[in-house]
Amino acid sequence: MSEVVQYFLAGLGIGGIYALVAIGFHIMWSSAKAVNFAHGDTLMLGAVLTIVFLDFGLPIAIAIALAILVGMLFGVVLERVAIRPFATQARSIGWMLTTIAIGIMLESYTTISFGAFARPLPSPLVENPVIILGAGIYPQELLIPIAAIAIVAVLHVFQRRTQLGRAMRAVAYNREAAGIVGINVTGIAMISFAMASALGGLSGILVAPVIQASATMGLLLGIKGFAVAIIGGITSAPGVVIAGLLYGVIEKFVDGYISTAAREAVGFSIVILVLMIWPQGLFGRKEIVKV
Amino acid sequence: MITRTVIAGAITAALALQGGASIADEANACIGNSGPVTGPAAFGGKAIRMGAELAVEDINAAGGVLGQELEFIQYDDAGAPPRGVDNVRRIGLADNCVAMIGGYHSTVALAQRDPIHEIGMPYVGTIAANTKVIENGRDPNYMFRVSAKDRWVTKFLVAEGMQRSANNAIGIMYENTGWGKGAYPDLQNALREQGLEEVGAETFNWEDTDMTPQLIRLRDAGAEVLIMWGLDREGNQILRSLQKIGWSPQVIGAWGFAGNLGELAGELANCALIMQTYSWMGELEPSAQALYDRMQEDFGIGSQEEIRMGSGVANAYDAVHIIAKAIEIAGSFDRAKVYDALFEVEHEGLVTSYSPAFERTEERHDAILPEAYKLTAWYDGKLLPLDQTPCE
Repeated sequence: MSEVVQYFLAGLGIGGIYALVAIGFHIMWSSAKAVNFAHGDTLMLGAVLTIVFLDFGLPIAIAIALAILVGMLFGVVLERVAIRPFATQARSIGWMLTTIAIGIMLESYTTISFGAFARPLPSPLVENPVIILGAGIYPQELLIPIAAIAIVAVLHVFQRRTQLGRAMRAVAYNREAAGIVGINVTGIAMISFAMASALGGLSGILVAPVIQASATMGLLLGIKGFAVAIIGGITSAPGVVIAGLLYGVIEKFVDGYISTAAREAVGFSIVILVLMIWPQGLFGRKEIVKV
Repeated sequence: MITRTVIAGAITAALALQGGASIADEANACIGNSGPVTGPAAFGGKAIRMGAELAVEDINAAGGVLGQELEFIQYDDAGAPPRGVDNVRRIGLADNCVAMIGGYHSTVALAQRDPIHEIGMPYVGTIAANTKVIENGRDPNYMFRVSAKDRWVTKFLVAEGMQRSANNAIGIMYENTGWGKGAYPDLQNALREQGLEEVGAETFNWEDTDMTPQLIRLRDAGAEVLIMWGLDREGNQILRSLQKIGWSPQVIGAWGFAGNLGELAGELANCALIMQTYSWMGELEPSAQALYDRMQEDFGIGSQEEIRMGSGVANAYDAVHIIAKAIEIAGSFDRAKVYDALFEVEHEGLVTSYSPAFERTEERHDAILPEAYKLTAWYDGKLLPLDQTPCE
């Protein structure tokens, strides 16, 4: 029994990380129909900068706030130089290459300046595990899926109750029509990238005490977060969170009852299978493109 | 048109002959290295550079080699085998160095065996420990090593593990890479030589964040000692997962955990035992203290624990001295003569006394014998010689 609980809780912790990354992809895609493929590196930026600011002697709260702010600015700059010049042309996919390139550059620069070693981000929530039904888990690992669910709830309210949120939904629904009624479409896209990147930075700070901060920490998370966003349905925020949590739990049960070596094969097989049956993802809505 | 073609052909032939002649004749007074200058293992590249540059400084201060100043050239492979192969060609053909020292990753070193033998340039490994890097079935075999050999390391770890397990119940956790997969059969053989089998063996991938499923299986199989084969980041996750499932076996690891495991895992790493060839921690011999002082001055090392992969520094230092001595014995920068001379080198090194450094058997192309391996222990964030800790 405790084994099952152990795998379930560990899966929720990891799944929560995937979900946080996937929410960022959802926000970007919804308004710009483009994503930052280096979004995993935004997590890295948040975690690494927090440690750097702590090294400078700043209090933890200011270090976190500054790291999120820099993450947000990174999103603004990235949207301006790597997305907007390429995404405005119909069917352009240049932004895929530019965002991947920026991610690689960011990782290389971080390795040089921050160092090659992973470093811990201190948190009192990873000092001792809590025991639930015989299974051990760090409170920080439990906080991650809770944070993902809370962020989606806040996002839901924001998108429906605020003028900016409604404008973002309008752009997501129909860019041209939104532009015609006076919504600044490019401005909305920029704000979306800023929001996604700020969230990425925050996510990095949340997960770093569990996985440690390093230049390469975002690479695999970015890939799996994107996979989760696709199978959850990138247009649905609750969908990507549910998919993230499910994916994490499945991974842990495969680890536990089949083998670690089979984990990625089984996981990505599920991704392919889901997409064959539901091309728009489990919870996504079918997007109609008028030509 | 015909004239142009003839002239172009003649120039090409002349260049080819010139190139061939320079490779066949004496090489240049330089030692190359392909190592990770960037990427997650850049600390390994830095360790090699520190050791090699300190040795080159010493050699040049004493008059150089055969009256010439020795040069050290380092290229970045970032842990990628194709770049490592390309670097061998740059070192052997473009720079025409007399020899090269090896890097951090076994996967790179394995890929470099072919170009090394195509060029006929002695290669002396300094960190990458995969057995087949050296024991590769070639004759002549240009691959040498002044570092640990996985096959010997596994015997060392198994022997140490048996001393700490009442029932000789040893479980294995190894990383799912070329290095880890190469070590697993060696570990099995080391156990079989003792009439044992592992109670369980589990793998993990780089960047894995939770190892509880694997550890639950090993715990339930009755393991008392856990031999770990991997790197610091994943080692930290193993220790944290052990804490989560409330299990505390004796942990013994290969030297991939000699980087910053203590910083990552804090007290959880206390008394995790790690094999090394050299430790810069604690009280040092006068000669080692002098080198440490220069490391502080030349490379900005602030304290002993800032020396990452300290074994690599010492190995590279000894490797460059051994190559320099071989050149002196050969009396020439001719690679074939230097190759033969490597078997005649006797050297009092930092790691051990090399007497001789190499022998003409495949197994003894490794210079550091298992007797020289050391057991160190993480304690309060520092990796110390075992006798400087309360660990057993």
